[in-house]
Amino acid sequence: MSELVEINNLTKFYEKKKLALDHMNLTIPRGKIIGLLGPNGSGKTTLIKLINGLLVPTEGVILVNGFRPGPESKAWVSYLPERTYFQGSMKVKELIDLFADFYQDFRPERAREMLANLRISEEDRLKTLSKGTKEKVQLIMVMSRQAQLYILDEPIAGVDPAARDYILRTIISNYSEEATVLISTHLITDIEQVLDEVIFIRDGRVVLQDTVEHIRESRGKSVDGFFREVFAC
Amino acid sequence: MLGKLLKHEWKAVWKVPTLLIGIVMLAGLVAGLTFAMPIWNSDWVGLPMSGVMLILTFFFGLSGVNIGIIIYFGVRYYKSMFTDEGYLTHTLPVSARELLLNKVITMSAWNLITAAGVIVSLMIFGGVAFLSLAPLDGAFAREVTRALAELPELFSASEMAGFQAFCASLILMLLTSAFSGTMILIGAITLGQMVRKHRILGAIGAYFAINGVVQMVNTVVMMPIMFNSMNNMWWEMDSPFPIFTGFYTVMSLVFVAVSIGLYFLCEYLIKRQLELE
Repeated sequence: MSELVEINNLTKFYEKKKLALDHMNLTIPRGKIIGLLGPNGSGKTTLIKLINGLLVPTEGVILVNGFRPGPESKAWVSYLPERTYFQGSMKVKELIDLFADFYQDFRPERAREMLANLRISEEDRLKTLSKGTKEKVQLIMVMSRQAQLYILDEPIAGVDPAARDYILRTIISNYSEEATVLISTHLITDIEQVLDEVIFIRDGRVVLQDTVEHIRESRGKSVDGFFREVFAC
Repeated sequence: MLGKLLKHEWKAVWKVPTLLIGIVMLAGLVAGLTFAMPIWNSDWVGLPMSGVMLILTFFFGLSGVNIGIIIYFGVRYYKSMFTDEGYLTHTLPVSARELLLNKVITMSAWNLITAAGVIVSLMIFGGVAFLSLAPLDGAFAREVTRALAELPELFSASEMAGFQAFCASLILMLLTSAFSGTMILIGAITLGQMVRKHRILGAIGAYFAINGVVQMVNTVVMMPIMFNSMNNMWWEMDSPFPIFTGFYTVMSLVFVAVSIGLYFLCEYLIKRQLELE
């Protein structure tokens, strides 16, 4: 079976002068939890936005399941941006209706179950929820899909440790074995335990792609320790 | 998927414009009812003045509701396509064409509904004013009734020649301007996104630029009709309607041509130049 995501020679310039991705080549396999790691401004979010079709590449090709970013690829990719992106005036139940209408792989009953566990009412409007609760609703919606690729951009940034545990548990208990989860984060220690692989990015280029197990064995240190060594200022 | 997009878009937008149109209809009713009130012959000037103010508020409200609904849809288009909400819009498994068509159809439909709402408001105002005045002033009621009864005869006069075609061209222009108004707004906001660091300013600039271009194109294509009318000495013709029919038909064609051009430009920009912040 081919790789889930294939990226060839991917380059992205912002306003023709700021280079965000520099002829990047990368493959993302199926059935893994992968950490996309790198310092600020390394190109993680740009890469994620390109895979989701929110930006257009300057050069190069991205294929998700053999398709360029478009309606077909979006049907397989479940994306959690690093911002609150649902319309504030919507009720939670309207959001469930919307996801159920557009994503064939969305499981409304799973979403309702998770919302009930957190005591979030479907009648609540998003603008009345706290920032943390909004983020949980977003995560629930994204993880209630049976997608082939989950892309989570900074899912645990800015939340308290208890919420982090909840988020990680939600991610682990909701993705299928055949699916891949790509998590972009700075908080490596918190997610290291769940990762199978990591991709290190610096200045828009991939500097390392390896399994967590191999890094621990060959480097004799944790991914967090190795990250600090590679990206030492 | 277009049907689903339309369903959710409609559910998200219907409340605000319906409320605005409802308010202006209510204002028409209240303004019309002022004629039934014993305020016009009052010794205190404040009473007739307040009646005049109510009527003026209604007429300003007619423009206000139009502008308000245009701004509402412009802001909604911008927010749902190019701000944080765009992260949901552009990750739905639908094509750029479906996204754009959804917006164009919804906004054009609301432009037409707004125009219909304005006409109905005027009819409410006129109707209520007539019904209020009729019992007070029998002569006035008789005059209006007589004028209405004479309308069919009036339409058969030579001065009214071409009136039906004129009405048809007017309706055509109303329909095409609902579409072109939408496309100019969408086009301006989408083009404004190309000014990456000043997107809103870019959109405002593009709005005036597109309107300027439409005016210029209109003037250029109107020239032959104007010269033709002068050669034929239109002021000596019985009916002015054929000339206006020509004007409105040409304007409608310009609106359609500009709108189609803007539509394809927007589709290209959303497909090939999208850059969400």
